[in-house]
Amino acid sequence: MAGRGLRIWSPLVAVCLGGLMLAACGKGSSAGSSASSTPASKAATGSQSSVASKKPVVIGASLSLSGDFSADGQAFQRGYELWADYVNHHGGLLGHPVKLDILSDASSPTQAVTNYEKLISSNHVALTFGPFSSLLTIPTSKVAARYGYAFVEGAGGAPDVFAAGLHNLFDVATPVANYMLPFAKWVASLPPGKRPKTAAYPTSNDPFTEPVINKAKSLLQKAGVRTVYYKVFPAEVTDFTPIADQVATTGAQMVVLGSVDVPTVSAFMQAFEQQHYNPKVFIASAGPDQGQAFLKAVGTSNANGVMVPNGWYPGVRIAASEAMVKAYVAKYGGSPSGINADVAEAFSVGQVVAQAVKATHSLSNAKIISYLHSGVKLSSVEGPVKFDSKGENIAALQFIFQWQHNGHFVQVLPTKAPGSQPVLFPKPAWGS
Amino acid sequence: MKVTALVQGGRQARSPAADMEEPWQQERRARGAWAAGVAALLAIAIAFPWVFTNPTTTSIGVFTLIYMAAATAWNSFAGYSGYIPLGHAVFFGSGAYTLVIAAQDLHIRGGYTVFALVPLAGAVAVAVAVPFGLVALRTRRHTFVVITIAIFFIFQLMAFNLGITQGSSGIPAPTPTWPAATFNDRFYYVALAILVVAAAFSWGIRRSRFGLQLLAIRDDEDRALSLGVRVSRVKLTAFALSALPVGMVGAVWAYFIGQVYPQFAFDPLFDISVALMAFLGGLGTVSGPLLGALILEPLQQYFTLQFSSNALYLVVYGALFLVVILLLPRGIIPTVRDRVASWRERRSGSTALASGPDAAGGVLSSEMAGGGVAGAAGGGAVSPPGPSGPAVRRG
Amino acid sequence: MGGAVAKAVVDGVLTGGVYALMAAGLTLIFGVMDIINIAQGILVVLGAYLSYVLSQDLGIGLFLGLLITIPSLFVIGVAVEWAFMRRLQERERTALSILVTYGVAIVIEGILELIFGPNYVQLRAWYVNQSFHVLGFYLPYIYVFGFALAVFLLGVLYLILYRSRFGRSVRASLQDRAAARLVGVNVERVSTITFGIGIAVTAAGGMVFGATNAFNANSGYDLISRLLTIVILGGLGSIGGALGAAVFMTVIEGLVAVLWSPVWATLVFYAALVLVLVIKPVGIFGQRAARAQ
Repeated sequence: MAGRGLRIWSPLVAVCLGGLMLAACGKGSSAGSSASSTPASKAATGSQSSVASKKPVVIGASLSLSGDFSADGQAFQRGYELWADYVNHHGGLLGHPVKLDILSDASSPTQAVTNYEKLISSNHVALTFGPFSSLLTIPTSKVAARYGYAFVEGAGGAPDVFAAGLHNLFDVATPVANYMLPFAKWVASLPPGKRPKTAAYPTSNDPFTEPVINKAKSLLQKAGVRTVYYKVFPAEVTDFTPIADQVATTGAQMVVLGSVDVPTVSAFMQAFEQQHYNPKVFIASAGPDQGQAFLKAVGTSNANGVMVPNGWYPGVRIAASEAMVKAYVAKYGGSPSGINADVAEAFSVGQVVAQAVKATHSLSNAKIISYLHSGVKLSSVEGPVKFDSKGENIAALQFIFQWQHNGHFVQVLPTKAPGSQPVLFPKPAWGS
Repeated sequence: MKVTALVQGGRQARSPAADMEEPWQQERRARGAWAAGVAALLAIAIAFPWVFTNPTTTSIGVFTLIYMAAATAWNSFAGYSGYIPLGHAVFFGSGAYTLVIAAQDLHIRGGYTVFALVPLAGAVAVAVAVPFGLVALRTRRHTFVVITIAIFFIFQLMAFNLGITQGSSGIPAPTPTWPAATFNDRFYYVALAILVVAAAFSWGIRRSRFGLQLLAIRDDEDRALSLGVRVSRVKLTAFALSALPVGMVGAVWAYFIGQVYPQFAFDPLFDISVALMAFLGGLGTVSGPLLGALILEPLQQYFTLQFSSNALYLVVYGALFLVVILLLPRGIIPTVRDRVASWRERRSGSTALASGPDAAGGVLSSEMAGGGVAGAAGGGAVSPPGPSGPAVRRG
Repeated sequence: MGGAVAKAVVDGVLTGGVYALMAAGLTLIFGVMDIINIAQGILVVLGAYLSYVLSQDLGIGLFLGLLITIPSLFVIGVAVEWAFMRRLQERERTALSILVTYGVAIVIEGILELIFGPNYVQLRAWYVNQSFHVLGFYLPYIYVFGFALAVFLLGVLYLILYRSRFGRSVRASLQDRAAARLVGVNVERVSTITFGIGIAVTAAGGMVFGATNAFNANSGYDLISRLLTIVILGGLGSIGGALGAAVFMTVIEGLVAVLWSPVWATLVFYAALVLVLVIKPVGIFGQRAARAQ
């Protein structure tokens, strides 16, 4: 059974708690929204007094703070909060401080829809930011569209999101089509003698992953890499051994794994090692980008040479990003390398909206939508942003990262991008 | 040892009949007042969106009505037959996919026309339920529970993999262009209409000969069979009927949410959620699941909103969840009814008390006779069994 | 392709051992106590986390650690039975057991997430990633060890059930609780101890699961429907049946994944159950399951 445990049983208990909570309930939703936006209010109070004295601009979002998407949802919350802090220290939006109103949806579309309805019609937020996950983006963006709200988001990059034809939707993240582009270019650029001749593509059944892998496959086939294995496996499979072992028996020189999480990647790596199968190149669409969480699951020595595509990393040489990383460490602790790329995506959402507000001199959602559709080039911690007619960011940067020597996560592609280091190729043997 | 077992057996054998008491059975004279009460509740439900116009409220109202209808329909099979299916999400999902696929194929872009597809969704759900039931209802008890789970996963996996459902990308529903302020009201009234259908089914089944046959199966299927109940047909009919409202609300949900994905349309926790609602209100009663869903769905949304950002929430809720289940295992309606009954008995003196439990059986029997039920068929369901009755075997 | 097929069969057999280990406790509890234990999945994860703590923090090996984790889970099992299971009234026992064990699962999941956080971990030992070469196959040590452990523990369970006085009481309760009571079996005590044993065996299943999969507190949910399927197919309460059914299912699943597609493999896993029950409603290996049917 799927893991969305939270939502379902909670109500029963709610009945029980109901008695205790009567006092709190009496205060109604205002108690709720102030509770959930406490960090934001703190941020607002910490800002410059001239800004803080004006009426705040309230921005609403629903995030999956528990349930299946909670790890990403919580990272997004941090990103939004960091942006609010930043903006409040730099004059606010049109001179008004920003206040966030973040609700939790426990990774459920039903709850997410209610939440945006509440943010807009009850809490009367001025602007909305997107939720986490493509799966929640379409239902919630339809609610926002109904009210004419602009819907800028950083986590709904699946092609079907744009196919829905929503005029108010903008995604700051890299479009799927470009995800593996630097990787495919690099493979094609290798001298024919060294270039992997065969590739295996096991991929998870996921609206985001499948298009990424399909695109990579077609690019690599054009570069002359023969496909020896291409199979889709279910998203919630619990035993990868037969799949991974079959990939191993094909002896493909390159494995392009369509994964959504760490356990999938670690299961494949474990089976490969057990089968004494070591491809020259191993790249996974997601999982190896999870920093310490990934190393802990697979072991540091096994990670050596594993690659992953991503649009951002903590070491990226963009001034705004460096400032954000510093602010993150100051606020939440930890080290820069532990910062999830989701934080930057959320931060970028805020930056894009702020630039639109500044340029249009208004908080009018209609003006913001037409401004963002005008083809103007904006900037973010993830690099340039420019939206096409569907709301995809066609200017987004795309990098490939690789784990190298003793758990260092380094940018390797595109080869000529600032900060890129040489690719560790071929991938070293497992455990070395 | 032996005595304890027998006493327990005897007590448990009686309680089903007592629990199943609806007011109309206890006081037939009060039927008029009962009808007036139902009419008043319906009027309140109809007036609700006019009084509480805030879209947040009506949005929660739509989801609540959807779950009320689903819990009522689920209970009209599970509560009466004693079979616990955990696969009704199949009907919900089938209904949802029927609506979006049909709308896509017929090029319906939005508006009221889409609602015309809701009965179609219900019909498809029933069409799915017949083979589902034919297979699953060959088994009983725990095996039945597990086979419904297995069939559920088969459907979810098909939704993920078949071309017609467009895999993990899902299918968008038509987008209506109604104004935001009253957008939810349309869905509210359609869901309310389905709820009325589901409740009418549940009530009709409960007081029909068909319903008594279901209860007979619930108490002892083999005995019901030997008494001449056409067990397979009765079970399958009830199962298929219960799929109809679930498929219909699945379609409304799909149109309301705007996009159908396999894992949300075929949600493994749907049945646990619905079962919880039925249990909270009172399994096997007509009004129990209505009350259960009416309490749970809004509170669920409220509590998710307020407290779901911390893992401690899991521990606290799980603990409270257990406390509630263990303190109120029979549900609100039966518990309250028993309290009221015993309060009345205490007031009216010891004579009523003495005839308490048996009176229940007596009323049922007379109701049966009045309803023209074949005595043989119903007998197994309601006659208070002796010490060697079916209840011992249940243990 | 031939090599891949043979490999899939070997993998299926070995994986089946792991599943049998995870399902053995479930089938015992299911059969004897007449309840569906939705918490089985999270208990597997709990067993895995216990092994993780012992090996990471105390440096105790995974197999040696079982001497601690198995008794620990026995105690937890007895406590859960005492606190919740025996309070279930006989009526609606099936449905109530689903809801109550679901509640138990939520609590355990919450505690695990509080302690360990949402990140995935995996058990480590030299034999976890190594394999040896025999008859042209690389056999991973962990799966071979896991299979041996499964056979050993299932054998012990078999001895307890069929060669001891307690076992006779358990089997009597399995066949008919009321009749067992009548012949003087203390069904409550048998239930408590059976629940404890069932959960205790799960500690071993959890250890092997944790060594073959990266897991977090949320990992239990994907397991439970598969374990239930295996238990029904094997026949309620049948230890050997659980092993047979687990191997049967994982071999079929592996073959479909290799010959056709992994997406349909999972579907075939469930479809096999449906098919078998259509032909033989008590399951492939089930005779005793006829009780209460």
